[in-house]
Amino acid sequence: MQPASPEVMANTGMPKYRPRQAEKAAPCEAGCASGSDVRTWIGLVAQRDRTGLDREQAYTRAWHTITDANPFPSVLGRICPHPCEFGCNRSENDGAVAINALERFLGDWAIEEGLGLDVVDAEPKPETMGVIGAGPSGLSFAYQMARRGYSVTVYERRPMAGGMLRYGVPDYRLPPEVLSAEIDRISALGVEIRTNTTIGVDISVEDLRSAHDILYLGIGAQQPRMLGIPGEDGPGVFTGTDYLSRVNDGQIVEVGARVIVVGGGNTAVDAARVARRSGAEVALVYRRTRTEMPAIPAEVDEALAEGITLELLTGPVEVLRTDGNVTGLRAQRMRLAEAGPDGRLRPEPEPGAVFEIAADTVIAAVSQQPDWTALDGLDIREGWVATSDFGGMGGAMWAGGDVRGLDIAGSAITHGRRAAENVHAKLRGMPPPESRRSTPIEADRVNFDFKESRPPVHPPHLAVEDALRNPTAEPTATITEEEFLAEIGRCFSCGLCMGCQQCWMYCTAMSFTKVLNPQPGIYYTLSLEECEECGKCIEVCPCGYLEVI
Amino acid sequence: MSGLGQWTLGARRSIRHLAADPSPDSDATLSDGSRVAVIGGGPAGSFFAYFLLRLAHTIDLDISVDIYEPRHFTHCGPAGCNHCGGIVSESLVQMLATEGINLPPSVVQRGIYSYVLHMDAGSVEIESPVEEQRIAAIYRGNGPRTAVDMPWESFDGYLQQICEKEGAQLVHQLVVGLERNGDFPVVITNEGTTTYDLVAVACGVNSNFHMLLDGSTSEGKPEVSRTFITEFKLGADAILETLGDSMHVFLLDIPRLEFAALIPKGDYVTLAMLGEEIDDDLVRRFLDSPEVRAAFPADSIPAVCACAPVINVKGPERPFGERVVLVGDAGITRLYKDGIGAAYRTGKAAAETAIVHGISTDDFETHYFPTCRAIANDNMFGRLIFFFTIAVRKSKFVRKAVLRMTAGEQRRPKGRHMSGVLWNMFTGSAPYRDVFFNALRPGFLLGLAKSLAAGVRPPQKES
Repeated sequence: MQPASPEVMANTGMPKYRPRQAEKAAPCEAGCASGSDVRTWIGLVAQRDRTGLDREQAYTRAWHTITDANPFPSVLGRICPHPCEFGCNRSENDGAVAINALERFLGDWAIEEGLGLDVVDAEPKPETMGVIGAGPSGLSFAYQMARRGYSVTVYERRPMAGGMLRYGVPDYRLPPEVLSAEIDRISALGVEIRTNTTIGVDISVEDLRSAHDILYLGIGAQQPRMLGIPGEDGPGVFTGTDYLSRVNDGQIVEVGARVIVVGGGNTAVDAARVARRSGAEVALVYRRTRTEMPAIPAEVDEALAEGITLELLTGPVEVLRTDGNVTGLRAQRMRLAEAGPDGRLRPEPEPGAVFEIAADTVIAAVSQQPDWTALDGLDIREGWVATSDFGGMGGAMWAGGDVRGLDIAGSAITHGRRAAENVHAKLRGMPPPESRRSTPIEADRVNFDFKESRPPVHPPHLAVEDALRNPTAEPTATITEEEFLAEIGRCFSCGLCMGCQQCWMYCTAMSFTKVLNPQPGIYYTLSLEECEECGKCIEVCPCGYLEVI
Repeated sequence: MSGLGQWTLGARRSIRHLAADPSPDSDATLSDGSRVAVIGGGPAGSFFAYFLLRLAHTIDLDISVDIYEPRHFTHCGPAGCNHCGGIVSESLVQMLATEGINLPPSVVQRGIYSYVLHMDAGSVEIESPVEEQRIAAIYRGNGPRTAVDMPWESFDGYLQQICEKEGAQLVHQLVVGLERNGDFPVVITNEGTTTYDLVAVACGVNSNFHMLLDGSTSEGKPEVSRTFITEFKLGADAILETLGDSMHVFLLDIPRLEFAALIPKGDYVTLAMLGEEIDDDLVRRFLDSPEVRAAFPADSIPAVCACAPVINVKGPERPFGERVVLVGDAGITRLYKDGIGAAYRTGKAAAETAIVHGISTDDFETHYFPTCRAIANDNMFGRLIFFFTIAVRKSKFVRKAVLRMTAGEQRRPKGRHMSGVLWNMFTGSAPYRDVFFNALRPGFLLGLAKSLAAGVRPPQKES
């Protein structure tokens, strides 16, 4: 790493490298969908010895830092595609810090220890909140409002809270008891969740409007899209969400010996793997190539390992039936043409290349849309509800989650939190919260030599036969405490001091002074009076925290 | 000069003695399975580790050595540098070869055949007195900032490699503390703590690690003096045109400046300065002086790297404690020059003490400290010589005489008294004592008297 400095001619002076302490945004935090302060919570554990915390105190503070933004660490630690790891500066070297696995460990630890969520402001507020839909977005909103002193009621049409987390994610990816444990903590803050309550049937929107000062719409996208091809109506054809929610509900769904799943997203992969666990041969049919599949790559890898086959560049043409029973899928070979308006390479049919794939069941997992039943008068654009950046729909209505457009659970949680922060600010007459994100620090500012090169933790995988034999068993385990501490030690704390002592150690001018009560990020004060301007401190700083003035 | 050999003879005898009777008399000794930590992977740490492991092998002692060095000498610029002018004498290179340390040409550059002494009275080139005493140049790290395609390898990095070949483990971690568990030293890093049987502290003086040491490990702190080193990127061809294959030493009457040298190294020129409070102004006055401009037109030459390392001018009173020993610059070193030679001697002496005698305070006091004292005593002669240098620098009359005498000597093959004194003062590893007594020889004194008498003006007090 070389700090930038203009070339200095010998007769005009010597090169000057005066240091300055400057915090920069971390790529993990910039990438985190749920908006968690990743560098901070990792630092609390990684630097516990330097800040005088024992393990339990460090874990506790780290967990409270996560749950400040995201009340579902154990859930997201399992199902999140972890965009936080994509930008990790270590990924260019020896692999990103396994942030997702770390979060899962802390989440499970907190459930085991029975930790409760933090209250921000216990003072009761007069306004009441109504939330439609107990999915990740609605529950995030409910949590953030409840911890600020508001009374919150959540209305959920299903028998249990959790939304897609409960009914869309298979149990092997997210054990229901983990989800329940994290929802129970939100309820413990006083949030009332009324299950089996359908809007328009059990209660009208007008009733909700009069009962609550603010209404938050978190209904998700529950309406699956069909393929729109001949033969899809009738027995033997399911949509992905329908199939998954029936299985998660405990129903026995007969799919036969051969199943075709159409789609390339996570729902498609989930449905394929659940069908595979019922003993069927499963083929995943997708119009583009593996590169374009939106599903989490690791999940696709695991699906392949479990014996699921990929039929890529394949478009469904017709569901074939004999005597009303599904016998297969007529398919069209596709090829990739230039990118369409969405920027993705557009599949187009290869003339004449039509073929058939035998199947007893076809599962269409191509897309979902919101179910607008009983919700009139909303501003709906291109199928999704229109809102401000923070979810405001005008007046007392707010919305978040998939109802604003399909995205991952972490984004739904962020929608809920941002809406809550803005609602709270408005109701209390405070200025709206500011977005604090800036361009994250890049890998060339990190001194990778400071830590030994070591690949990320690789949690043990269940053998494929065992995973298939136990349909609800998690294929990957939560990492052990030893692995957790080793992995957390891989973080370079990009952009913020981690107290490594190198600047202090190598500055013979003693420009750095240790602070009395160090905190993550705050270990030294810097005075330039005696500085020799050699720039060594800047070059040895592993974090890129020190920079040239 | 035979000084180096004399300094090490005693230890060789001890090893032979040990092979005959392997029973040290100390309570605290290294035994099979002992763990040794070396704090600092510069030359002193590496020499210590190398000799410790080599001696352990000769008596079939199975010990492990961890060398702690957080920095990588594959980096260019200050992060991978160990701050020094980078001059070693050919005699030291030969000495190391007899120890089995053969520095490859990629590490040691034997491109300097003479040095040029510049004074306001004129300049004189002094050829190396004997073929063996050429000057070799090294980069301790991987060269200055911006050096991307350095054809040279790091000297310190090479020494680490030979230690690894002997079985040492290189640990890339910063040591942030040294504590005790009973008698045993405990090394603390950011990753955890490890208890050792013996710790060698080779942290130099350009780290604040010595501030973390207490009375149980040593007594007193090294006294230091600040220097200034900068690197110019000039290009090999331009260097040959300006500086040639000579090291250039300047004794100029510029206030606060004691000494300065320009050392050609491949595409770069190293400027090393000794003086008080060296700042931009002093550096500019030096570069702008007519003597420097004549040899080295600094205009339009980019300065790529600058630092102000400190050097050890007086070691701690007691550079050892129970199971702890300070080697190299962290302990006792030679005044102003030949730090690597001192690292070699103290590192080797400490290693021999640990293997042959023991690792208690008494063992180091009896068997290691004499080596340190010998260096410290020699430094007293060094101080006397540098008083002389200051006199030369301050008096134009003496400067002229020195120049006249040296120039005259350089025209003849023998009787180069002044040349020899000057050579050994700025280069080489000869003890200062030898330099001093050479200067008291009749040939030198006679020559100096003649040269002084040849001055056009009568003797004056300092100008």
